[in-house]
Amino acid sequence: MNIVGFVIAISTLITLVMAARGWETCTSVPLNDIGTDIIFIYNAPVKPLNTGCYIANHLFAYPFNQTLLAEIEQVPNVECAVPILMHRLRAMVFTGIDPTQTITNAVKPSDVIEGRYLKADDEYVALVDKEYASLNNLTLGSTVSYAANYTVVGIVEVSATNLIKSHIYVNLPIVQQVLPEKPIGFVNMGLIRTTSPSNVKQVSEALKEQWPDSSTLTGLDLAETAFGVIRIGEETAWGISLALAVITVLFAVKSQLGNVGERTKEIGILKAIGWSNKNVVNQIVVESLIQGVIGGVIGCCLGLVFGSIALSTIGGEIGGALSLVPFDPVLIAVGFVIALVSAVVAGLFSSLRAARLVPVEAIRTT
Amino acid sequence: MMSNANMIEVSNLTRTYKTKSGGVIKAVDKVNLQVSEGEFLTILGPSGSGKTTLLNLIGGLDKPSSGRIVLDGLEFSKLCDGDLVNVRREKVGFVFQAFNLIPTFTALENVEAALVPTNMPKDERLQRSSKLLEMMGLSERANHLPSELSAGEQQRVAIARAFANKPRVLLLDEPTGNLDTKTGKEILQLCHQVSKTQGQTVVAVTHATYVKDITNRVLYMRDGKLYTEIPQGEAVQ
Repeated sequence: MNIVGFVIAISTLITLVMAARGWETCTSVPLNDIGTDIIFIYNAPVKPLNTGCYIANHLFAYPFNQTLLAEIEQVPNVECAVPILMHRLRAMVFTGIDPTQTITNAVKPSDVIEGRYLKADDEYVALVDKEYASLNNLTLGSTVSYAANYTVVGIVEVSATNLIKSHIYVNLPIVQQVLPEKPIGFVNMGLIRTTSPSNVKQVSEALKEQWPDSSTLTGLDLAETAFGVIRIGEETAWGISLALAVITVLFAVKSQLGNVGERTKEIGILKAIGWSNKNVVNQIVVESLIQGVIGGVIGCCLGLVFGSIALSTIGGEIGGALSLVPFDPVLIAVGFVIALVSAVVAGLFSSLRAARLVPVEAIRTT
Repeated sequence: MMSNANMIEVSNLTRTYKTKSGGVIKAVDKVNLQVSEGEFLTILGPSGSGKTTLLNLIGGLDKPSSGRIVLDGLEFSKLCDGDLVNVRREKVGFVFQAFNLIPTFTALENVEAALVPTNMPKDERLQRSSKLLEMMGLSERANHLPSELSAGEQQRVAIARAFANKPRVLLLDEPTGNLDTKTGKEILQLCHQVSKTQGQTVVAVTHATYVKDITNRVLYMRDGKLYTEIPQGEAVQ
């Protein structure tokens, strides 16, 4: 019974912590790809007809005055607010960017795999996504169309987890000029980088307070909205797991005490043939330790299996979280040590009771 | 070979128990006893006469209410619990009526269990245990669990275990109680032979009168007291 208890506790600990880490990775990757912590938008309730729509990730987002971003930059702990104008017509996504922003942007210089990145004074030139280029036989110098014609100067490969992945990227002022509504001076997204990831929540709340109609999307919000997975933080996972570990210890102690009770006669015989209290304590602790080792090893193995299943479930939605969460020997070691410590505590506690047995009375028990 | 030196000296030994109703039962009542080194002493008596209690007291399994026990020069009243453990380990070998083998240990492991608390290396322990089982004619049964052995075989494992530490004193508590007459005789003969070879002192408590054939001396016990003759009204079968 003890082994089962150890297996359940340790495998749950490892599974929960791995899932929590997978979750955190999943939620941080999409925004990390574009170097931002928060996406600032104005949600649009319905999709405009025929002329395409302004989108942010999978949401419809109203354009707003670009000058608002300068005000956002005044909010405490905001490092920068980068303008994006993203438009979709049928299956095509067309995005205007400010190429001077190389850290936080929908596409960055490091994403260029062929040709060059956009320059601030570029006009009718574009970056195209690698897959889109491949499907449409586009190469450097080809012409691509979306409300106007552009010469392809670069082919980019952005991560599948990039939430504002587009087919075509063009300088923002050109996009504002060519779209049917001519939204000059307007953008529909602000990519906000905070001074520290720990400030994300506070900045997000400050933005909502100052611009109540706006929406802010953090990594967690996006992942939750997009993937609908139950969120559990690593601290919570550890908390649940440690509580489980305490229950395991109590369960192990109770089980071992029961075991000692069942073996009263056996302990009496051993004491009668010359076993000292120390011998009895050693025997019971070693037996308990062996159970802890077996339970710990099986628990760690099952934890890794269940944790991997949990990660692939989360990762399957977002693409590749499994590969993003490295194997953590410390987590396995902690799980194993918890099993061992529980086993020793349970063994010691029950063996001390066994040591107190009077041999002549213990032998008489049936 | 018997010597004149006393291996066991018991003086005015009393062991009382309190009953639930508040009364007192004298299981052993002012018993005096001397057993010479190498002697085979048998104590006969009916159930409840106090034989097992006396044996437990001599073996250091139980503590007397009053009186004195000296075994191989060691006076029990001057020994701490740890020293009594050493007496049980080094000086005394027990054989119980109910065999008292560990059910989850094989025959070999049961014998070896008596050697575990010593500093003997594992290989040596196994070697000695195997040899003892061989002496008992159980070589082929060494890896069997007690449940796979007959009653006679189980008692022979228990005897092998009792001899494991080469004790100075062998205490046999109804060693034939669970055995048929033929097997009981064989077991007693076995104990007699081995103890004689090794110069051990044996105290056996039993109902079996055929023990008279091999014993040096017979005492009788009734109501906690020892007698040299059969007490009046006692029927010994």
